[in-house]
Amino acid sequence: MMLKVQATLLLMSLVGAVPAVLAQGSAQGDIKRGEYLSKAAGCLGCHTDEKKGAVNYAGGRALKTPFGTFYGPNITPHPEAGIGKWSEADFARALREGKRPDGANYFPAFPYPSFTGMTDADVRDLWAYLRTLPASAQASRPHDVGFPYNIRFAVTFWKALFFTPGPFTPDPKASETINRGAYLTTALGHCGECHTPRNSMGGPRKERFLAGGKGPEGKDIPNLTPAKLKKKWGDKDLADFLSSGVTPDGDVPAEAMGEVIRNTTGLLTPADLAAMIAYLRSLPAIDDEKK
Amino acid sequence: MKTKLILSGVVLLVGTGYGAAVLAQAKPDVLVKQRQSAMTLIGKYFGPIAGMPSGKAPYNAETVIRNAGYLDVLSKMPWDGFVDSTKDEKTRALPAVFTDSAKFKEGGDRLQSTIAQLVKVSKGGDEAAVKAAIADVGKTCGGCHENFRAK
Repeated sequence: MMLKVQATLLLMSLVGAVPAVLAQGSAQGDIKRGEYLSKAAGCLGCHTDEKKGAVNYAGGRALKTPFGTFYGPNITPHPEAGIGKWSEADFARALREGKRPDGANYFPAFPYPSFTGMTDADVRDLWAYLRTLPASAQASRPHDVGFPYNIRFAVTFWKALFFTPGPFTPDPKASETINRGAYLTTALGHCGECHTPRNSMGGPRKERFLAGGKGPEGKDIPNLTPAKLKKKWGDKDLADFLSSGVTPDGDVPAEAMGEVIRNTTGLLTPADLAAMIAYLRSLPAIDDEKK
Repeated sequence: MKTKLILSGVVLLVGTGYGAAVLAQAKPDVLVKQRQSAMTLIGKYFGPIAGMPSGKAPYNAETVIRNAGYLDVLSKMPWDGFVDSTKDEKTRALPAVFTDSAKFKEGGDRLQSTIAQLVKVSKGGDEAAVKAAIADVGKTCGGCHENFRAK
């Protein structure tokens, strides 16, 4: 009996592993491109614990919000602890619709309101890359969120109010560079998840898009619109800051951004970084709110 | 009567002695300027090495040793400028500096210890260790800015 169970388990884990191998061979996803996209989309930060020696993408990072503490889950291809049993379609649905493979909602701590804009090719390449990660058996930590925010079903209402699914649509009047920057900023980089202030229900205040205010952890977040964005700085200063993490004066930003620079903006190609800056410069200027 | 006069003279003298100590305390705006100057110089000597761990700045062991030495001294300087008398000065210091002073002190202590560590490894010549130590200093700066400095 015991043996049978073990054999079944073994079989199950084998079955779990097979699609992973197949997916690598059959999917058209470009792994190298996917690796770059994982950086541009800043996956590592939330999906890796902060403690020294933590396994990349094995989850555990805490995100404190006014609604509770969320823990980034394991997204390595481990069949039980990670997302090894997922299909590419499951992955696309998670990013685009904020839904788990079983159909339940993700909490919007997972920035699918941004990722929904990703192109098909980018979703496929990112998936191809994630499949190549070493599987980690580290169990995902349950979120520590109090009633009533812990009701996944309630997220349906949140989505109805604040979530607009659908791919990024380029602005036909804007240049290709600015559209690339817009895609990097909104769909991949999900800058607005922190830099756009939220209302009491945790919905983004679209009229103050990227204009800063209180961030998800209750701290002051800078305004990225031309009303504020480092007026004294030229594009080169800004690009240097976003790639090195230090200002020309040797100043260092708050660590929340320092991490984003190390994991994301500092790893973008110079062309992509320039596109992002061009896009930010093209935004309507919104003055800071009076405190 | 005479004794009383002498006594009050003594009291006055002693009082002046103490008074001098209080007078020696700089004005709040100057204290702010001084602590900001220390921070500015920390930026001056941290900036050129901050980009080395990521490869954005070319690695130069000599520069690290020199700057780490300067930073070691500079990192001790800002803290006694964050006194209550400066609370109402218009600066980027958040109220938490004064309301959560224990945590703020912890941040200052951590900066000094991460820099002391950098000084130590910079002399050892292990490039990977030096880069890790520089990155640690950067994280410590940013970690404290996050909680105690306005954007």
